[in-house]
Amino acid sequence: MSARAPPKCPPPGDHALLPRVKEALGPSLLSRGVTPEGHLCVVVPPDKIREVAQAVKNMGFDHVLSLSAVDYIAEKKFLLVYVFASYLSPELKNQLLHVRAEIPRDSPRIASIADIYPSADYEERECHEMFGIWFEGNPHMGKRFLLDPDCCIDEKTGKPLYPLRKDFKVPDWGLMG
Amino acid sequence: MSQALREFLMKKARLEKVFKWGVRWSLWPVHLVTSCCGVEVAHTSAPGFDAERWGVLPFHTMRQSNVIIVEGTITRKMARVLRQVYEQMPEPKYVLAMGACAVRGGLFWNSYHVVQVDTVVPVDVYISGCPPTPEAVIRAFIMLHNKIKGKPGPYVEPVKVDLAPYLPPPPKPPAKPAPQPQQQQQQQAQAAA
Repeated sequence: MSARAPPKCPPPGDHALLPRVKEALGPSLLSRGVTPEGHLCVVVPPDKIREVAQAVKNMGFDHVLSLSAVDYIAEKKFLLVYVFASYLSPELKNQLLHVRAEIPRDSPRIASIADIYPSADYEERECHEMFGIWFEGNPHMGKRFLLDPDCCIDEKTGKPLYPLRKDFKVPDWGLMG
Repeated sequence: MSQALREFLMKKARLEKVFKWGVRWSLWPVHLVTSCCGVEVAHTSAPGFDAERWGVLPFHTMRQSNVIIVEGTITRKMARVLRQVYEQMPEPKYVLAMGACAVRGGLFWNSYHVVQVDTVVPVDVYISGCPPTPEAVIRAFIMLHNKIKGKPGPYVEPVKVDLAPYLPPPPKPPAKPAPQPQQQQQQQAQAAA
Protein backbone atom coordinates (compact mmCIF):
# COMPACT_ATOMS: atom_id res chain seq x y z
CA MET A 1 0.00 0.00 0.00
CA SER A 2 1.46 3.29 -1.12
CA ALA A 3 -0.31 5.69 1.23
CA ARG A 4 1.20 5.72 4.70
CA ALA A 5 -1.24 5.02 7.50
CA PRO A 6 -1.79 7.90 9.92
CA PRO A 7 -0.01 7.64 13.29
CA LYS A 8 -1.87 5.88 16.09
CA CYS A 9 -1.26 8.75 18.51
CA PRO A 10 -0.70 12.48 17.86
CA PRO A 11 2.79 13.95 18.49
CA PRO A 12 3.81 14.15 22.14
CA GLY A 13 3.74 17.39 24.06
CA ASP A 14 3.35 18.90 27.49
CA HIS A 15 0.02 18.56 29.20
CA ALA A 16 -1.21 19.45 32.68
CA LEU A 17 -2.79 16.03 33.17
CA LEU A 18 0.32 14.08 32.19
CA PRO A 19 1.91 13.56 35.63
CA ARG A 20 -1.33 12.32 37.11
CA VAL A 21 -2.01 9.98 34.19
CA LYS A 22 1.55 8.63 34.34
CA GLU A 23 1.16 7.95 38.04
CA ALA A 24 -2.26 6.31 37.59
CA LEU A 25 -1.45 4.08 34.61
CA GLY A 26 2.15 3.21 35.46
CA PRO A 27 3.66 0.59 33.13
CA SER A 28 0.50 0.18 31.02
CA LEU A 29 1.14 3.55 29.33
CA LEU A 30 2.80 2.65 26.03
CA SER A 31 2.98 6.04 24.35
CA ARG A 32 1.32 9.42 24.67
CA GLY A 33 0.53 12.55 22.71
CA VAL A 34 -1.48 15.76 22.66
CA THR A 35 -4.20 16.23 20.03
CA PRO A 36 -4.48 19.56 18.16
CA GLU A 37 -7.46 20.38 20.38
CA GLY A 38 -5.27 20.06 23.47
CA HIS A 39 -6.54 16.69 24.77
CA LEU A 40 -4.18 14.15 26.23
CA CYS A 41 -4.02 10.88 24.30
CA VAL A 42 -2.45 7.68 25.60
CA VAL A 43 -1.96 4.25 24.02
CA VAL A 44 -2.42 1.23 26.30
CA PRO A 45 -2.16 -2.55 25.73
CA PRO A 46 -5.59 -4.08 24.94
CA ASP A 47 -5.36 -6.83 27.58
CA LYS A 48 -5.07 -4.22 30.36
CA ILE A 49 -8.07 -2.10 29.35
CA ARG A 50 -10.00 -3.00 32.51
CA GLU A 51 -7.16 -1.97 34.83
CA VAL A 52 -6.74 1.23 32.83
CA ALA A 53 -10.47 1.98 33.05
CA GLN A 54 -10.43 1.41 36.80
CA ALA A 55 -7.39 3.67 37.21
CA VAL A 56 -8.99 6.38 35.08
CA LYS A 57 -12.15 6.12 37.13
CA ASN A 58 -10.15 6.54 40.34
CA MET A 59 -8.61 9.69 38.85
CA GLY A 60 -12.05 11.31 38.69
CA PHE A 61 -13.26 10.71 35.12
CA ASP A 62 -16.83 9.59 35.67
CA HIS A 63 -18.20 8.77 32.23
CA VAL A 64 -17.24 7.54 28.78
CA LEU A 65 -17.98 10.25 26.28
CA SER A 66 -17.33 8.19 23.19
CA LEU A 67 -16.10 4.78 22.16
CA SER A 68 -15.36 4.08 18.55
CA ALA A 69 -12.99 2.16 16.35
CA VAL A 70 -10.78 2.93 13.37
CA ASP A 71 -10.37 0.25 10.73
CA TYR A 72 -6.73 0.02 9.58
CA ILE A 73 -7.42 -2.56 6.90
CA ALA A 74 -3.90 -2.56 5.40
CA GLU A 75 -2.28 -3.24 8.77
CA LYS A 76 -5.08 -5.68 9.76
CA LYS A 77 -5.79 -3.86 12.99
CA PHE A 78 -8.59 -2.05 14.74
CA LEU A 79 -7.73 1.00 16.79
CA LEU A 80 -10.22 1.43 19.63
CA VAL A 81 -10.63 5.00 20.88
CA TYR A 82 -12.13 5.55 24.32
CA VAL A 83 -12.78 9.15 25.33
CA PHE A 84 -13.24 9.78 29.04
CA ALA A 85 -14.69 12.97 30.53
CA SER A 86 -15.89 14.23 33.87
CA TYR A 87 -19.00 16.03 35.05
CA LEU A 88 -18.33 16.18 38.78
CA SER A 89 -14.65 16.81 39.26
CA PRO A 90 -13.97 20.59 39.02
CA GLU A 91 -10.31 20.30 38.02
CA LEU A 92 -11.12 17.81 35.22
CA LYS A 93 -14.07 19.82 33.94
CA ASN A 94 -12.45 20.96 30.69
CA GLN A 95 -10.33 17.89 30.11
CA LEU A 96 -10.83 14.94 27.81
CA LEU A 97 -8.68 11.84 28.00
CA HIS A 98 -8.29 9.72 24.87
CA VAL A 99 -7.29 6.12 25.52
CA ARG A 100 -6.40 4.05 22.47
CA ALA A 101 -5.78 0.33 22.12
CA GLU A 102 -4.93 -1.78 19.10
CA ILE A 103 -6.51 -5.17 18.53
CA PRO A 104 -6.00 -7.59 15.63
CA ARG A 105 -8.55 -7.41 12.85
CA ASP A 106 -9.12 -11.14 12.31
CA SER A 107 -10.08 -11.85 15.94
CA PRO A 108 -11.35 -8.55 17.35
CA ARG A 109 -11.99 -9.25 21.03
CA ILE A 110 -11.47 -6.99 24.01
CA ALA A 111 -12.74 -6.96 27.58
CA SER A 112 -15.89 -4.96 28.28
CA ILE A 113 -15.74 -2.00 30.65
CA ALA A 114 -19.52 -1.69 30.88
CA ASP A 115 -19.57 -2.77 34.54
CA ILE A 116 -16.97 -0.14 35.47
CA TYR A 117 -18.51 2.60 33.32
CA PRO A 118 -22.26 2.03 32.71
CA SER A 119 -22.21 4.75 30.06
CA ALA A 120 -19.94 2.55 27.91
CA ASP A 121 -22.67 -0.07 27.49
CA TYR A 122 -24.49 1.52 24.54
CA GLU A 123 -21.21 2.56 22.96
CA GLU A 124 -19.94 -1.01 23.09
CA ARG A 125 -23.15 -2.39 21.63
CA GLU A 126 -23.01 0.11 18.76
CA CYS A 127 -19.32 -0.58 18.17
CA HIS A 128 -20.03 -4.31 18.11
CA GLU A 129 -22.77 -3.82 15.56
CA MET A 130 -20.84 -1.50 13.27
CA PHE A 131 -17.37 -3.08 13.44
CA GLY A 132 -17.93 -6.61 14.71
CA ILE A 133 -15.75 -6.17 17.77
CA TRP A 134 -16.67 -8.59 20.54
CA PHE A 135 -16.63 -7.01 23.99
CA GLU A 136 -16.21 -9.93 26.38
CA GLY A 137 -18.43 -9.57 29.41
CA ASN A 138 -21.10 -7.38 27.86
CA PRO A 139 -24.34 -9.45 27.88
CA HIS A 140 -25.73 -7.84 24.72
CA MET A 141 -23.09 -9.08 22.29
CA GLY A 142 -24.45 -10.83 19.22
CA LYS A 143 -27.77 -8.96 19.22
CA ARG A 144 -28.98 -6.22 16.95
CA PHE A 145 -29.15 -2.80 18.61
CA LEU A 146 -29.48 0.03 16.07
CA LEU A 147 -29.63 -1.77 12.73
CA ASP A 148 -32.73 -3.32 11.23
CA PRO A 149 -32.93 -7.09 11.81
CA ASP A 150 -33.11 -7.78 8.05
CA CYS A 151 -30.34 -5.42 7.05
CA CYS A 152 -26.63 -6.04 6.46
CA ILE A 153 -26.80 -9.84 6.40
CA ASP A 154 -24.75 -11.93 3.99
CA GLU A 155 -27.23 -13.69 1.72
CA LYS A 156 -25.11 -16.79 1.20
CA THR A 157 -23.92 -17.54 4.71
CA GLY A 158 -26.56 -15.74 6.79
CA LYS A 159 -23.91 -14.09 8.92
CA PRO A 160 -24.12 -10.42 9.81
CA LEU A 161 -22.02 -7.89 7.91
CA TYR A 162 -20.51 -4.89 9.62
CA PRO A 163 -21.27 -1.69 7.72
CA LEU A 164 -18.52 0.57 9.02
CA ARG A 165 -15.70 -1.79 8.11
CA LYS A 166 -13.64 -0.71 5.15
CA ASP A 167 -14.37 -3.89 3.18
CA PHE A 168 -18.17 -3.50 3.44
CA LYS A 169 -19.74 -2.94 0.03
CA VAL A 170 -22.44 -0.24 0.14
CA PRO A 171 -25.41 -0.76 -2.21
CA ASP A 172 -25.04 1.07 -5.51
CA TRP A 173 -28.20 3.01 -6.41
CA GLY A 174 -26.70 4.38 -9.60
CA LEU A 175 -26.44 8.02 -10.55
CA MET A 176 -30.16 8.86 -10.70
CA GLY A 177 -31.75 6.03 -8.72
CA MET B 1 -82.10 0.39 -1.68
CA SER B 2 -78.96 1.72 -0.18
CA GLN B 3 -76.97 1.01 -3.33
CA ALA B 4 -79.58 2.73 -5.48
CA LEU B 5 -79.67 5.65 -3.10
CA ARG B 6 -75.90 5.86 -3.14
CA GLU B 7 -75.84 5.82 -6.94
CA PHE B 8 -78.53 8.49 -7.06
CA LEU B 9 -76.70 10.69 -4.61
CA MET B 10 -73.32 10.30 -6.24
CA LYS B 11 -74.36 10.50 -9.88
CA LYS B 12 -77.65 12.37 -10.15
CA ALA B 13 -77.42 14.70 -7.22
CA ARG B 14 -73.73 15.36 -7.94
CA LEU B 15 -72.82 14.53 -4.38
CA GLU B 16 -69.39 13.41 -5.59
CA LYS B 17 -68.46 17.03 -6.15
CA VAL B 18 -69.48 17.87 -2.60
CA PHE B 19 -67.49 14.89 -1.34
CA LYS B 20 -64.36 15.96 -3.19
CA TRP B 21 -64.86 19.53 -2.04
CA GLY B 22 -65.01 18.32 1.54
CA VAL B 23 -61.87 16.25 1.20
CA ARG B 24 -60.07 19.05 -0.56
CA TRP B 25 -60.56 21.59 2.18
CA SER B 26 -59.89 19.30 5.10
CA LEU B 27 -56.47 17.81 4.47
CA TRP B 28 -55.26 16.99 7.93
CA PRO B 29 -51.65 15.91 7.83
CA VAL B 30 -49.99 13.65 10.33
CA HIS B 31 -46.35 14.49 10.95
CA LEU B 32 -43.70 11.84 10.55
CA VAL B 33 -40.80 14.05 11.58
CA THR B 34 -37.54 12.17 11.23
CA SER B 35 -35.31 15.09 10.22
CA CYS B 36 -35.00 18.84 10.00
CA CYS B 37 -37.92 19.24 7.55
CA GLY B 38 -40.27 19.19 10.54
CA VAL B 39 -39.16 22.73 11.35
CA GLU B 40 -40.39 23.94 7.99
CA VAL B 41 -43.75 22.22 8.46
CA ALA B 42 -44.03 24.01 11.79
CA HIS B 43 -43.48 27.28 9.88
CA THR B 44 -46.13 26.25 7.38
CA SER B 45 -48.74 25.92 10.10
CA ALA B 46 -47.57 28.97 12.05
CA PRO B 47 -49.37 32.32 11.65
CA GLY B 48 -46.80 33.64 9.16
CA PHE B 49 -47.81 31.28 6.36
CA ASP B 50 -50.95 29.85 7.94
CA ALA B 51 -51.59 26.76 5.86
CA GLU B 52 -54.98 26.43 7.51
CA ARG B 53 -56.21 28.88 4.87
CA TRP B 54 -56.07 25.84 2.57
CA GLY B 55 -57.59 23.52 5.14
CA VAL B 56 -54.31 22.06 6.34
CA LEU B 57 -54.75 21.45 10.04
CA PRO B 58 -51.86 19.66 11.75
CA PHE B 59 -53.18 16.72 13.68
CA HIS B 60 -51.66 14.36 16.13
CA THR B 61 -53.27 10.98 15.52
CA MET B 62 -53.01 9.06 12.30
CA ARG B 63 -56.42 7.46 12.73
CA GLN B 64 -58.16 10.82 12.33
CA SER B 65 -56.07 12.31 9.55
CA ASN B 66 -55.85 11.68 5.83
CA VAL B 67 -52.48 13.05 4.71
CA ILE B 68 -49.06 11.88 5.82
CA ILE B 69 -46.08 14.17 5.30
CA VAL B 70 -42.88 12.14 5.28
CA GLU B 71 -40.48 14.74 6.60
CA GLY B 72 -36.97 13.47 6.29
CA THR B 73 -34.80 10.40 6.05
CA ILE B 74 -36.51 7.03 6.32
CA THR B 75 -34.27 4.27 7.57
CA ARG B 76 -35.12 0.60 7.31
CA LYS B 77 -36.38 0.54 10.88
CA MET B 78 -38.50 3.65 10.35
CA ALA B 79 -39.92 2.22 7.11
CA ARG B 80 -41.83 -0.34 9.17
CA VAL B 81 -43.32 2.49 11.24
CA LEU B 82 -44.16 4.45 8.11
CA ARG B 83 -46.01 1.51 6.59
CA GLN B 84 -47.85 0.89 9.85
CA VAL B 85 -48.91 4.54 10.12
CA TYR B 86 -50.04 4.49 6.50
CA GLU B 87 -52.14 1.37 7.02
CA GLN B 88 -53.84 2.90 10.07
CA MET B 89 -55.07 5.98 8.24
CA PRO B 90 -58.67 5.95 6.90
CA GLU B 91 -59.45 6.32 3.21
CA PRO B 92 -58.98 8.54 1.26
CA LYS B 93 -55.33 9.02 2.14
CA TYR B 94 -52.46 10.82 0.49
CA VAL B 95 -48.69 10.81 0.96
CA LEU B 96 -46.36 13.76 0.56
CA ALA B 97 -42.63 13.05 0.36
CA MET B 98 -40.90 16.16 1.64
CA GLY B 99 -37.26 16.99 1.16
CA ALA B 100 -34.37 15.45 -0.72
CA CYS B 101 -33.94 12.58 1.75
CA ALA B 102 -37.55 11.45 1.42
CA VAL B 103 -37.64 11.88 -2.36
CA ARG B 104 -34.56 9.86 -3.31
CA GLY B 105 -32.30 9.42 -0.30
CA GLY B 106 -30.66 12.84 -0.56
CA LEU B 107 -27.51 13.14 1.47
CA PHE B 108 -27.64 9.47 2.43
CA TRP B 109 -27.23 8.21 -1.12
CA ASN B 110 -25.97 4.65 -1.50
CA SER B 111 -26.52 4.00 2.18
CA TYR B 112 -26.78 0.62 3.84
CA HIS B 113 -29.67 1.66 6.05
CA VAL B 114 -31.74 4.27 4.19
CA VAL B 115 -34.71 3.44 1.92
CA GLN B 116 -36.48 5.46 -0.72
CA VAL B 117 -39.99 6.35 0.40
CA ASP B 118 -41.78 5.40 -2.82
CA THR B 119 -40.66 1.80 -2.34
CA VAL B 120 -42.63 1.69 0.94
CA VAL B 121 -45.81 3.71 0.35
CA PRO B 122 -47.34 5.22 -2.81
CA VAL B 123 -46.31 8.88 -2.96
CA ASP B 124 -48.72 11.45 -4.39
CA VAL B 125 -46.63 14.62 -4.34
CA TYR B 126 -42.88 15.09 -4.13
CA ILE B 127 -41.52 18.29 -2.59
CA SER B 128 -37.95 19.01 -3.60
CA GLY B 129 -35.53 21.04 -1.52
CA CYS B 130 -33.21 20.56 1.42
CA PRO B 131 -35.21 21.54 3.38
CA PRO B 132 -38.15 22.83 1.30
CA THR B 133 -39.51 26.24 2.16
CA PRO B 134 -43.03 26.61 3.61
CA GLU B 135 -44.13 28.03 0.25
CA ALA B 136 -43.09 24.75 -1.37
CA VAL B 137 -45.16 22.79 1.15
CA ILE B 138 -48.20 24.99 0.49
CA ARG B 139 -47.63 24.54 -3.25
CA ALA B 140 -47.60 20.80 -2.74
CA PHE B 141 -50.94 21.00 -0.95
CA ILE B 142 -52.38 23.04 -3.82
CA MET B 143 -51.08 20.36 -6.20
CA LEU B 144 -52.86 17.82 -4.03
CA HIS B 145 -56.04 19.94 -4.32
CA ASN B 146 -55.75 19.78 -8.09
CA LYS B 147 -55.18 16.04 -7.97
CA ILE B 148 -58.33 15.50 -5.91
CA LYS B 149 -60.26 17.70 -8.33
CA GLY B 150 -59.08 15.45 -11.14
CA LYS B 151 -57.00 18.10 -12.83
CA PRO B 152 -53.43 17.30 -11.78
CA GLY B 153 -51.22 20.30 -11.43
CA PRO B 154 -47.59 20.65 -12.39
CA TYR B 155 -45.80 17.70 -10.84
CA VAL B 156 -42.35 18.01 -9.38
CA GLU B 157 -41.00 14.53 -9.96
CA PRO B 158 -37.38 13.53 -10.30
CA VAL B 159 -36.66 13.02 -13.98
CA LYS B 160 -33.61 11.55 -15.66
CA VAL B 161 -31.27 14.22 -16.93
CA ASP B 162 -28.39 13.72 -19.32
CA LEU B 163 -25.54 15.52 -17.62
CA ALA B 164 -23.08 15.03 -20.46
CA PRO B 165 -23.42 18.58 -21.95
CA TYR B 166 -22.80 20.15 -18.55
CA LEU B 167 -19.89 18.05 -17.37
CA PRO B 168 -16.33 18.81 -18.49
CA PRO B 169 -15.33 16.74 -21.54
CA PRO B 170 -13.08 13.74 -20.97
CA PRO B 171 -9.35 14.48 -21.35
CA LYS B 172 -8.14 14.18 -24.93
CA PRO B 173 -5.18 11.97 -25.82
CA PRO B 174 -1.96 13.96 -26.25
CA ALA B 175 -1.64 15.38 -29.78
CA LYS B 176 1.12 14.18 -32.08
CA PRO B 177 4.24 16.34 -31.90
CA ALA B 178 4.37 18.93 -34.67
CA PRO B 179 7.17 18.47 -37.25
CA GLN B 180 10.23 20.25 -35.99
CA PRO B 181 11.62 23.22 -37.93
CA GLN B 182 14.98 21.49 -38.49
CA GLN B 183 13.31 18.59 -40.28
CA GLN B 184 11.36 21.10 -42.39
CA GLN B 185 14.60 22.87 -43.34
CA GLN B 186 16.19 19.52 -44.25
CA GLN B 187 13.17 18.60 -46.33
CA GLN B 188 13.32 21.99 -48.08
CA ALA B 189 17.04 21.53 -48.70
CA GLN B 190 16.44 18.08 -50.12
CA ALA B 191 13.66 19.45 -52.33
CA ALA B 192 15.94 22.28 -53.54
CA ALA B 193 18.75 19.84 -54.26
